[in-house]
Amino acid sequence: MTMTTDPEPLARPVKKKARTLGPLAWVGLAALGLLLFATVRQLTGATNLTSSGAIQAAIGAAAPIALAGLSGLWSERSGVVNIGIEGMMVLGTFGAGWAGYQWGPWAGIFFALVCGALGGLLHAMATVTFGVDHIISGVAINIIAPGFTLYLAKLLFTNAPGGGQKQSPPVSDVYRITIPGLSNWLGTIEDKQIFFVSDLAGILRGATTHLSVFTVLAVLLIVLSGWVLWRTRFGLRVRSCGEAPYAAESLGVNVIKYKFAAVTISGATAGLAGAFLVVGLKFQDGQTGGRGYIGLAAMIFGNWRPGGMAMGAALFGYTDGMQLYDTGGAIHALLLILAVALVVVAILQMRRGHYTIGAVSLVIAALSAIWFFSTDDLPGQLVTAAPYAITLLVMGLASQNLRMPKADGLIYRKGEH
Amino acid sequence: MAHPADPPPGDPVEPPPVTRGAGAPPAVQLTGITKRFPGVVANSDITFTVARGTVHALVGENGAGKSTLMKTLYGMHRPDEGSIEVDGRPVTFHSPADAIAAGIGMVHQHFMLADNLTVWENIVLGSEPVNGVRLDSRSAIDKIRALGTSYGLTVDPERLVESLGVGERQRVEIIKVLYRGAKILILDEPTAVLVPQEVDELFGNLRELKSEGLTIIFISHKLDEVRAIADEITVIRRGTTVGTADPKAVTNSQLAEMMVGSELPVPELRDSTVTDRVVLDLAGVTVVDGDGRPVLTDITAAIHAGEVLGIAGVEGNGQAELVDAIMGIRPISAGRVELAGVDVTKLSTLRRREAGIGFIPEDRHRQGLILEGTLWENRILGHQTRPPSARGFRLNRSGARKDTQRIVDEYDVRTPGIEVKANSLSGGNQQKLIVGREMSGDPVLLIASHPTRGVDVGAQAAIWEHLRRAREAGLAVLLISADLEELIGMSDTLTVILRGKLAGSYDPAAVTPEQLGIAMTGGDLGQVAS
Repeated sequence: MTMTTDPEPLARPVKKKARTLGPLAWVGLAALGLLLFATVRQLTGATNLTSSGAIQAAIGAAAPIALAGLSGLWSERSGVVNIGIEGMMVLGTFGAGWAGYQWGPWAGIFFALVCGALGGLLHAMATVTFGVDHIISGVAINIIAPGFTLYLAKLLFTNAPGGGQKQSPPVSDVYRITIPGLSNWLGTIEDKQIFFVSDLAGILRGATTHLSVFTVLAVLLIVLSGWVLWRTRFGLRVRSCGEAPYAAESLGVNVIKYKFAAVTISGATAGLAGAFLVVGLKFQDGQTGGRGYIGLAAMIFGNWRPGGMAMGAALFGYTDGMQLYDTGGAIHALLLILAVALVVVAILQMRRGHYTIGAVSLVIAALSAIWFFSTDDLPGQLVTAAPYAITLLVMGLASQNLRMPKADGLIYRKGEH
Repeated sequence: MAHPADPPPGDPVEPPPVTRGAGAPPAVQLTGITKRFPGVVANSDITFTVARGTVHALVGENGAGKSTLMKTLYGMHRPDEGSIEVDGRPVTFHSPADAIAAGIGMVHQHFMLADNLTVWENIVLGSEPVNGVRLDSRSAIDKIRALGTSYGLTVDPERLVESLGVGERQRVEIIKVLYRGAKILILDEPTAVLVPQEVDELFGNLRELKSEGLTIIFISHKLDEVRAIADEITVIRRGTTVGTADPKAVTNSQLAEMMVGSELPVPELRDSTVTDRVVLDLAGVTVVDGDGRPVLTDITAAIHAGEVLGIAGVEGNGQAELVDAIMGIRPISAGRVELAGVDVTKLSTLRRREAGIGFIPEDRHRQGLILEGTLWENRILGHQTRPPSARGFRLNRSGARKDTQRIVDEYDVRTPGIEVKANSLSGGNQQKLIVGREMSGDPVLLIASHPTRGVDVGAQAAIWEHLRRAREAGLAVLLISADLEELIGMSDTLTVILRGKLAGSYDPAAVTPEQLGIAMTGGDLGQVAS
């Protein structure tokens, strides 16, 4: 027989792999970022930019977003678009409120998980079994869930002690970790206001003081999900359903089963995200406030990967934490940081040849710089809206060359191809 | 709903060892297979025997029922009547998993690969080796490398499938079935997407597999290839087997007669009708992709009235971008497009169509038709501003209907009427409708991108005839095709496109498909350049 020696006779240009950064480079980048924040804090006196209290608030705000993003990751990796995360979160908040006030926070978390999973199951039934358009099913869940839970709330909470028509009785908090000694020691450093050192101490202290066990659980879940999706047989099959379901089917993979499993896990995770809002507080109508959508945006920003998704969630959590904890000075200072960040985005985009996006980034950077220097404070309404605005801005401008699962959002019908 | 069980975890299934000899039962024996779909009988009373350790070709026209038969054998659906025996044992397949367990593997015509997964992930999917719960990537990669070495199928298991060429993807598909321990391989039109050199390479691999005792069922309608590789040929026509042939004794025309009941059409042009009037003039046309890399570099070419310019090239070398640039679908970053002496570089696609460009797109489902629309609605597409489809700013429904009837009559579109939806027509008739539409409105330039891809022999002959008539009527035609015989037969001038550049012109009267294949893959052009 004759064999050509050249194994690649085709002229199809091979796409360059995206650059991947080593761990050291990430540490360097983080240090650079911190340097920027330290400098801005020094210049503006907005100590809350890196204060431990604000960081604590940021972590608390980021965790539900990250869980919502994780929910989207599970669903979309299996090829089902889940715009219904918001509604599944609402179901989770109800489950957490109802079980939580009666049997404690962990029972609440468990019931949130079950309620979310039921929402996920509903979405899976609609999209996978009946072939309903994914967006329509998701939106329907988003509409039904708040109405349904409000009805149940009126039924179950009105006469409960401390409850009302639109809210459950309070749910106690889970255990919060404070590392003794370390926290106080970091506190003293933080109070000394040393450039960079105190900023680092503030961030570390925020992460080691009153840290909810639930937050730790959320972080572990993200790591675990990444491992399951990329390192196990189950995960490979789930991802294959999102990329090429008919190829998977031709190899004997039961696509419907894996899609069901993944969307149900997605619902359960969304339920946990809802529980996060309730534990330590209570169920309230309208409590989710669009976090499901933000989580989905964070997941897309993270290119359908857990690490990137977590970064997106951290970004929103940080700005949201600032908004909750600070009275305005820090958000005002964030304008300057935003301007610098957008200049960096502009440079990166222009180097890749995306001149329009680069130019838009520069213009917005200039506007926020002008805004920063010409004012001393921000109106209250803008402060509340800032996390949404900043997050969407950064995500929109930085999210280029995303690669969604190829069969994401497509309706799969067994045996039809 | 009943779900088939997933294949058992652990090592891939090993079917019983192959025993050879005169008394051994055939590898596959299909008896009296009938398969009906609503409204059609796809297979009727088919009997088909494949001896072990041979390459058996199954030939027939598109739509003759080859794929349906193979889907039956691969367990993708169950026959309404008839029995299947593998290695002498009667079997019933409920799903591909059952067929895989019986040692049957299928390489699909359209690759069944997940682009964003690595080669090894694609191969092991469904029967993954695990170490506890963790995927055992090490052993998977080692096993794939070992398979590659023993059968001469080279591909790097750790690359993303996205980055592979067509030939490599096909090797991945073959390794995929070998990995599962298949002893009987079904290859559905494996050469449709390959250039001649890759076909040779594939045939080398197949002979290697055969010498290892594997049985190969090779589906094709390319008669030269079938005669080159097969040990035995079975011909199928209109859903039933019409006979078997010995590839050493049979000729192409005999096979063709068995296949279609008449002689095969030949792509050829009559006397030259080329004039010296330039219709399409491209000067330095350059197109870049989203990342700023050039996908089309400095294309300069001219097509005259009455001339067919053929573009040969491996898919993905800039053909699609060239068409988009001429049609104004994709902006060009440099250069000029002139139509009949008028600069149309800045004009929109609609304006260019109005100026007289007809366009037969490469993928009729994606760009050519609204599948859910009626034939007359499809007639309006691209002509929505011109009579007879429009009157002023309003659509002229009755005009469009009348003109659709004209196209149906003139272009022999076989349809129950013009009110049916486009997706109820066969591929060949959809294509004839598109050709008819694009030839109306007095075009001066016709872009024909793979005009006969996936259509049956009858429609192919008809479309060629329409191209010939268009050329005689003084149209300039840009012909892009993967079928080299079509290109050579139907072109007045032939140009090769390679990595976004025009890489030399050839005389269609002198060049052979092999020489073109070499030029298309960037081989030495010296001795073939005209």
